[in-house]
Amino acid sequence: MKTNIYVKRRVAVVGAGLTLFRRRMLETPKELAWEAAKMALDWAGLELDDVDAVVIGSAPDAFDGVHMKGEYLADGSGGWGRPTMRVYVGGGTGVFTPIAGWWHVASGLFDVVLVVAEEKMSPAQPHPQFVFKHIWDPILERPLNPNLIWIFAMEMHRYMYKYNVRKEDIALVSVKNKRNALDHPAAQLAAKITVEDVLNSEVLVYPVQRLDISPVTDGAAALVMVSEKVARRITDSPVWVEGVGWALDSTQWTNRELAYPKYVEVAARMAYRMAGINNPRKEIDVAEVYDPFDYKELHHMEGLMLARKGEAPILTREGVTERDGDLPVNPSGGLLGVGNPIAAAGLMKVAEIFWQLRGEAGGRQVKKPAYTGLAQAWGDLMQAGTVIVMRAG
Amino acid sequence: MSWDKVGLPTKLRHWYGDMEVEGYLYTAGIAGEKFFKTLKERGKLLASRCMKCDVSYLPARAYCPSCFSEITEYFEVEPEGNVETYTILRVGVDGEKLEEPVIVAFITFDGVNGGLIHRLGEMDEKDVEIGMRVKAVLKPTDERRGEITDILYFKPA
Ligand SMILES: [Zn+2]
Repeated sequence: MKTNIYVKRRVAVVGAGLTLFRRRMLETPKELAWEAAKMALDWAGLELDDVDAVVIGSAPDAFDGVHMKGEYLADGSGGWGRPTMRVYVGGGTGVFTPIAGWWHVASGLFDVVLVVAEEKMSPAQPHPQFVFKHIWDPILERPLNPNLIWIFAMEMHRYMYKYNVRKEDIALVSVKNKRNALDHPAAQLAAKITVEDVLNSEVLVYPVQRLDISPVTDGAAALVMVSEKVARRITDSPVWVEGVGWALDSTQWTNRELAYPKYVEVAARMAYRMAGINNPRKEIDVAEVYDPFDYKELHHMEGLMLARKGEAPILTREGVTERDGDLPVNPSGGLLGVGNPIAAAGLMKVAEIFWQLRGEAGGRQVKKPAYTGLAQAWGDLMQAGTVIVMRAG
Repeated sequence: MSWDKVGLPTKLRHWYGDMEVEGYLYTAGIAGEKFFKTLKERGKLLASRCMKCDVSYLPARAYCPSCFSEITEYFEVEPEGNVETYTILRVGVDGEKLEEPVIVAFITFDGVNGGLIHRLGEMDEKDVEIGMRVKAVLKPTDERRGEITDILYFKPA
């Protein structure tokens, strides 16, 4: 695989916006998109007239229950009469959306791009879980009537077995992220809980328990991404997109070693090369790692080479990933604490890195000085990795 | 490999599946709540106006898609307007022949942008024409539930 890492045009993030993350929102998907997009423009001090193009991210149409969701969301996303596209790589969409926004600007085509991600999971009845059932192979796997949590349970179990990981250490991730979310104004499931609470919660699909999982959520997030020329004009503190990477593995997940997400490593290596990062553990100051389940934070930290294989639970136990630790992970509260409106959840992570690198994260601000941050999302049938590396200007 | 010649697709090895989401609960949203409350309680249509662009929207919108301003200016519109275009349905959604043709029209209203798609009634298909004046026939107040079918159809004004 070859990548041209010498992309000439620099791209900055200059504004971010977020709606409340809640189980059920009154707002239509368009109204959610508008709230986040307007907040991002206000943050940047720009108006809709300044926007050259729009990139929309949303996961399966079957969640909101509207086909052509990109087109549907366009009028709440500033897409009226503008070049507008929607991107989609399942749960990886939230980080892939600003990657697409980045190439819109880096290519020289546009100077100001509005990036909007939305997901409304509450409409699907009786439960959005049914939407997930159709990611499976219809002949090999669906006859067994699988549930999404099965696959996580098997991956989690494999990870625990291979690296001898204790459930107590995995539970620490849930405890940390829900506690971090107490400082997030949009959070749905912020809570002070203990490892015992996690271990005593209902076993859903062994070894996955109720408090290992992120919730069902409605919400939207947005970013404003601009060329260097525009960034220099409108802000003293742009946040530069320094590296992007994405990769897919097979949907035939039985062809993989589940204990290690190789596709995340491939995506991360691409982003690190572009950003000139040789030692991610030392050079990344703060990370927002995709955490729909608590073990996924550990699994992804290892795929991102922020920890050696099997080392992430140890770093977590030692407090390294706490907000005041040496490598804060998910200071936002992550999907476990803030919520999981699929595409919007990933973009919320990129927004968090933007706020952290600007020193605008308020009560969530990490203790160490943060110059370089990373956000990652993951999705489809446990096979899509998307990574973005940003630096404070 | 084409399997057209096999005939019945069920003669091939297969697994029957369906996408078993049973349905969706859609919310009307911020502006939609106001629109349908007005229709139910007052039998009127609700529009909203962006003061910045001086553009109005029917049905009402909570924000202006042109300039992104929040819209707080709402106003009622009489449910009487003009046929912008129409079509006449002779077969139903399953391809069945309809006993009575159904006329469906796009109707615009005075002084506002946008409009509604709805059925036309109390008229012969020969009498419908673009530009004709029509007004809404509503369900009785106590039967209205705050949904678009609270309007039964539009008839010649
Ligand atoms: Zn306007």
